[in-house]
Amino acid sequence: MIQLIIKRLAIAIPTLIIIIAFVFGLMRVAPGGPFTNERALPPEIEQKINEAYDLDKPLIHQFGIYLSKIAKGDLGPSYKYKDFTVNELILSGFPISLTLGVSAIIISLFLGSLLGIIAAIKRNTIFDYTVMGVSLIGICVPSFVLAPILSLFFGLYLGLLPISGWNGGNIYNLILPVVSLSLPQIAIISRMMRSSTIETLNSNFIRTARAKGMPKRRIITKHVIRSSILPIIDYLAPATAGLMTGSIIIEQIFGLPGIGRYFVVGALQRDYTLVSGVMILYASLLMLLILLSDILRGVLDPRVKIK
Amino acid sequence: MNIKNYSKDDLDNILSIKGNSLYSDAFKRLLKNKASLVSLIILLLITLLSIFGPYLLQYDFYETDWNSIYLAPSIESRHYFGTDGNGRDLLVRILYGGRLSLSIGIIATLVSVLIGVTYGTIAGYFGGKLDTIMMRIVEILYSMPYLIFVIILMVIFGRNIYLLFLAIGAVEWLTMARIVRGQTISIKEKEFIEASKSLGQSSFMIIIKHIIPNLAGTIIVYITLMVPSVIILESFLSFLGLGVQEPLTSWGVLISEGSREMETAWWLLIFPGLFMVLTLASLNFIGDGLRDALDPKEY
Amino acid sequence: METILSVNGLSVNFDTSQGLFKAVDNISFSIEKGECLGIAGESGSGKTQTFFSITGILSDNGTATGIADFNDVDLLKLTEKELSNIRGKKIGFIFQDPMTSLTPHMNIGNQLIEVSMVHEKKTKNEALKKAKEVLDIVKLPRIENLLKKYPHELSGGMRQRVMIGISLMCDPLFIIADEPTTALDVTTQKEILKIFNDLKKFKDITIALISHDIGVISEVSDTILIMNEGHIIEKGNCQEVLISPKHEYTKHLLSCVPEWMK
Ligand SMILES: Nc1ncnc2c1ncn2[C@@H]1O[C@H](COP(=O)(O)OP(=O)(O)O)[C@@H](O)[C@H]1O
Ligand SMILES: [Mg+2]
Repeated sequence: MIQLIIKRLAIAIPTLIIIIAFVFGLMRVAPGGPFTNERALPPEIEQKINEAYDLDKPLIHQFGIYLSKIAKGDLGPSYKYKDFTVNELILSGFPISLTLGVSAIIISLFLGSLLGIIAAIKRNTIFDYTVMGVSLIGICVPSFVLAPILSLFFGLYLGLLPISGWNGGNIYNLILPVVSLSLPQIAIISRMMRSSTIETLNSNFIRTARAKGMPKRRIITKHVIRSSILPIIDYLAPATAGLMTGSIIIEQIFGLPGIGRYFVVGALQRDYTLVSGVMILYASLLMLLILLSDILRGVLDPRVKIK
Repeated sequence: MNIKNYSKDDLDNILSIKGNSLYSDAFKRLLKNKASLVSLIILLLITLLSIFGPYLLQYDFYETDWNSIYLAPSIESRHYFGTDGNGRDLLVRILYGGRLSLSIGIIATLVSVLIGVTYGTIAGYFGGKLDTIMMRIVEILYSMPYLIFVIILMVIFGRNIYLLFLAIGAVEWLTMARIVRGQTISIKEKEFIEASKSLGQSSFMIIIKHIIPNLAGTIIVYITLMVPSVIILESFLSFLGLGVQEPLTSWGVLISEGSREMETAWWLLIFPGLFMVLTLASLNFIGDGLRDALDPKEY
Repeated sequence: METILSVNGLSVNFDTSQGLFKAVDNISFSIEKGECLGIAGESGSGKTQTFFSITGILSDNGTATGIADFNDVDLLKLTEKELSNIRGKKIGFIFQDPMTSLTPHMNIGNQLIEVSMVHEKKTKNEALKKAKEVLDIVKLPRIENLLKKYPHELSGGMRQRVMIGISLMCDPLFIIADEPTTALDVTTQKEILKIFNDLKKFKDITIALISHDIGVISEVSDTILIMNEGHIIEKGNCQEVLISPKHEYTKHLLSCVPEWMK
């Protein structure tokens, strides 16, 4: 197990460094970027950038400084907001995005898996058809179509839920964003779980469990789920990536001041340091999730250990 | 093995005969699948409407009319889907948007198929260390939040529609490369490849003449599944204001405008959304149908 | 002699995309207590589905009709719940493919003890004691160690022994062994067949031994059934049938057995 974690870290850390190098390289070639010489910035920021990255030193030296700052968790001064560092901006948005993302991922994993398992057990019944039909809609209706329609219906017509704002994390303000963010993932996960459960149900060891006279409930809980959940564990990181990109849109639509919001604003205003800071944060989080899903897989599947 | 008994012409014959009947059978099976057939018709209709529709309608897509702002859909006014805040006819705009969304979908997909197939066949065919390195790269890129990459590219190089094609194509090829590599490895083992090798055909010719034609089915299936994801990607970017720019329009742009104005004019959101969702659903159904048709299961 | 299983007019049908497929067609036979019945026939002749239908583990697209009296209870009339009380407790089942027939994420000990814990409401310790007993019967070494292992750490032969052990957990009256040695090498095959002979002799367990290989059947069986395309072609005392087969098909099957086996 420890070995597996070390092995994964040995891949994850160089990967992160490559991503950072890529981001650094892009900023160098970007017209008016922080690592080029010709740019027109307000003098205060100009000075901060110079201080932060030692721009008179050679390129490799600059990258070294950039890297070591990031390793210390310092993402540098914002390119456009005079009075803020990128860290401050990200920190102010992080709690919001984290609440949104974590609720969405927990809900999608739980509901998606549950619906998928039940649909597989009751396959070719009304329940199965309903779940699969609705999840098909979930797959074909992108979140930027779904979210406005949901707020049109529940917010404007029915007046049940607020359609915008954070409001200190009030649960009612969370409902629509979390639902719009989770629905596509619930759709994907429930389909995945359904087909992997059906595959497991048809496998020889389930026939053995039936031949042993094990009750249905025990077969599902002890024999089926631990096998059929494995594809979902592998999907954890892609799901998170999906939620990250989804949240960029969702925060925009529902006016939530999260990281995604800063990312879009940064992108539109060409705030290079902000955008690359968010990018690096996202990439690190994803690496963490890949590691987590590897560990989970090792716990659930005894065959992983010997590899 | 009696490899040497095949002549080069024999080989080509065997392959093409088998290939043709395989694909025409698959097409027949596809048409038998009701969901796919309906989807095929809907998709064809949307495509034809997008291409020819604007010529048949009396309104132009940039024609503003201050007397007919936010008109609700109606048959009398001849604005069947209503008008927007500039009095422009929504239907015409949706059809123009369709042209752009569909062509971005197709072009970006072709770009990524080109990259993916080249990359995948090379890794799969030559195998060994090269394969390991190439696939490790794919694995690393796979774990990226690639959409964010595209956004960064758009930020740095400006919002340019050709760049959009390229950027999307450049991130969507990963899946293709993986699948193609897997298939190539299994085709490579087949007897006729050995036979071609023993006849002294070059690796390049073997890949072009024998491997790629055998991949055609898989490639087609993934094209139908990739086009919708590219369309979503484009709309996503346009929604954020990072994609297609006015005066050009795409479904993403229209949905984005619609969602800002839905309180005044619901149709501005619902109709473009409907067109887009119908297209995505159709493509998904066709993709699933094709997959089943090319790989029929027994029971 | 006391009849333990009596099958009458059993048919098995599968609903397939090409219509209804009759895998087993109106067959009747019976098994006496303490004997071993061999069921022979080419692959696809309906041997497996006959016994899947009796124990209620057919695939979803299959249906069985007829009568299968086990200890005077018609198994085909029982509900799934009633059947599951008999399976694993009174009837043990051993499958063809030991490599995939054990749950990959559960250790051997847990796969064994759950049988006694569910059927006989034994405590974990009682069940563990029984598990060690049965693993001893199937001649597995280093039992303490083995209980903590996972299936992928065992060879095919060892897994098949574990499967036999599982079927013995509740001291069943009747064991169905479906091609138990087909996936194994010849030496292991001999050892496994010896276990069946011991079970018959010392434990008085009734056995149905399914195999496409008449050689395997002749090692253990007292009586034999020859099946072809869902029908019973010939049945009788094992030795008599093998020495003087009446039916052409049986002769054909016999001609496939290597000389030294006879
Ligand atoms: N789920 C199923 N659906 C349709 N046909 C089946 C199914 N399971 C088995 N069959 C068919 O039933 C016949 C008998 O199978 P089986 O009893 O397993 O043969 P064997 O004698 O080799 O054990 C075979 O022709 C097989 O193809
Ligand atoms: Mg069989």
